[in-house]
Amino acid sequence: MRRFAGVGAAACAVGAAALLPTVTQSNYLIGIAVSACLFTVAAASLNLVYGYTGLLSFAQLAFWGIGGYCAALTVATFGGNFWQGLLLAAGLNGALALAVGYPALRLNRHAFVIVSLSFALLANLIARDWTELTRGPLGIPGLPAPTLFGFAFRGTATFYYLALTYAMLALGLLYAIASSQIGVTLRAIKQNEILAQSQGISGLGYKLLAFTVGAVLTAVAGGIFVFHLTIVDPLILDFYYMQTFLIMVIIGGAGSFWGVVVAGVLMSALPELLRFSADLRMVLYGAILVAAVLVMPDGVAGWLRRRRVERLRAALQ
Amino acid sequence: MTIDPLYLVQLTLNGLVLGLLYALIAVGLSLIFGVLEIINFAHGEFLMLGAYAMTFMLPVVGLLYAPALLAAVLITALGGFLLFELFLSRLGQHDFERSILITIGLSIMLLHGTQYLVSATPRLVDTELGFDGVAIGDIRITWTRLIGGGLALAAFASLYGLLTRTPFGRAMRAIAQNREAALMVGIKPRTVARNAVVLSTALCGLAGAALAPIQLVQPIMGQFLIFKAFALVIIGGLGNLPGAIAAAVALGLFESWIGGFFEIIWQEAAVFLLMILVLLVRPNGLFGRAIVRAG
Repeated sequence: MRRFAGVGAAACAVGAAALLPTVTQSNYLIGIAVSACLFTVAAASLNLVYGYTGLLSFAQLAFWGIGGYCAALTVATFGGNFWQGLLLAAGLNGALALAVGYPALRLNRHAFVIVSLSFALLANLIARDWTELTRGPLGIPGLPAPTLFGFAFRGTATFYYLALTYAMLALGLLYAIASSQIGVTLRAIKQNEILAQSQGISGLGYKLLAFTVGAVLTAVAGGIFVFHLTIVDPLILDFYYMQTFLIMVIIGGAGSFWGVVVAGVLMSALPELLRFSADLRMVLYGAILVAAVLVMPDGVAGWLRRRRVERLRAALQ
Repeated sequence: MTIDPLYLVQLTLNGLVLGLLYALIAVGLSLIFGVLEIINFAHGEFLMLGAYAMTFMLPVVGLLYAPALLAAVLITALGGFLLFELFLSRLGQHDFERSILITIGLSIMLLHGTQYLVSATPRLVDTELGFDGVAIGDIRITWTRLIGGGLALAAFASLYGLLTRTPFGRAMRAIAQNREAALMVGIKPRTVARNAVVLSTALCGLAGAALAPIQLVQPIMGQFLIFKAFALVIIGGLGNLPGAIAAAVALGLFESWIGGFFEIIWQEAAVFLLMILVLLVRPNGLFGRAIVRAG
């Protein structure tokens, strides 16, 4: 019964999202909705890696940025089209995730965090310093609108459907994984890896799977996002994005699929509401993160779950 | 390609000083990890704090090096005290991920708060010593570099003495080695943890203050260095202080040599590739885990 209610609510949300461009003509609002779609995918991918599997991965930022560069370079430098760019983003980042993940995941979780962070910072440095390829801090401006069979996704409203379609596909895949046997296994690994191993579950294989799926989905989202911005520069690897994804996961509730999706959609609007100064906004973001971790470690979803359990306990007595 | 030996010696000297200052940062990071089992992601911002404290104290004390440095170290140590009392002391022993998220949040607040208050423009810091130096034959090294390297060496010697000869330091090693056993002999983990955080941030402040007249001071400087410090701590073995120092000095030399002959991108990529390589071969770092072997 609960399951049907969930599917119904999701269908309603998709319907409402699809109707958005008919409700508002404002390119500004639809632009926020495009960001909301792509940020939510990135946050939900981080949720698969951190919330379900327990791997705090900063590499998500690197995948997001490298995905953006892959898509942009394919069109601007390698002479390919947008779709080939996304394919490259998915392929390269999948391979990178395996190459970095394999040595890093064999370590304890402490070292994994550091390696993933170093990887993200390295991607940022390379974007800035490898000027022959990335054109350095100036970036690659003027990315054209993607086309499909002669139809151009020009204009924010049209582009929005592209982003929404991708978000549905990616979130659908993540939901399928999270609610399948794999999702249960990932949670088991998070809670007690040694116990999971004693049941014949290979921790490394599953962790690598979650890490790679998260990387591919995030990279493609990053690739689409730079075409929404129509420019890619080293700012795509700014810690601001990682911070945003993290806040979405933490506030929504790590390990709760719908909690993070709802937080992703709602909190995409937050940066737009806080438009005073970029630096002050970041200070506020930092404060929100610290406060959320100290006060609400399991996010809103965790808080609701705890309340439900308490009410059940009270009813039983 | 012929290499001018003088140029090589010059690069080596500069690399050595840089490596010793990296080591101050890496040692602090490693010490906090050894005692508290958490990773302080705001460590780079404490370096930045030390550098800015030096920058702003110098004009106050008439460009005198020593008092400004001392003030910078004390200010940073106070910052470390607040970090522990306000945030880290609230965490339990198994709150590893939470500790990271909290220190990241703090790092971003400090970085952008500084950028907002003093602007992101890099500053050139002048001291009484100026940019003069000593010349041995054709090799030149500035006083600020020489003093920076000397201070780092003195700091390591005192840290070693502290950890091996005093109850204060022995308690830290005891907690790092075996928490339960340390509790049983009456060591208070909270006090020891606070001491470790204050000591680490003071070392970091020393590095920042010593770096200020050598490099440009800017809010982002901690971010550049922390990335290297993380790699060093991994390569040296998490929580292993001599390992971190050895890795840091090696990196300083390595970077200076590479920077002298190749493009800057290789300099940045080298440390990350080295880290991945070390992890593949020796997942516990080159030197394994032990804060300081009993001596």
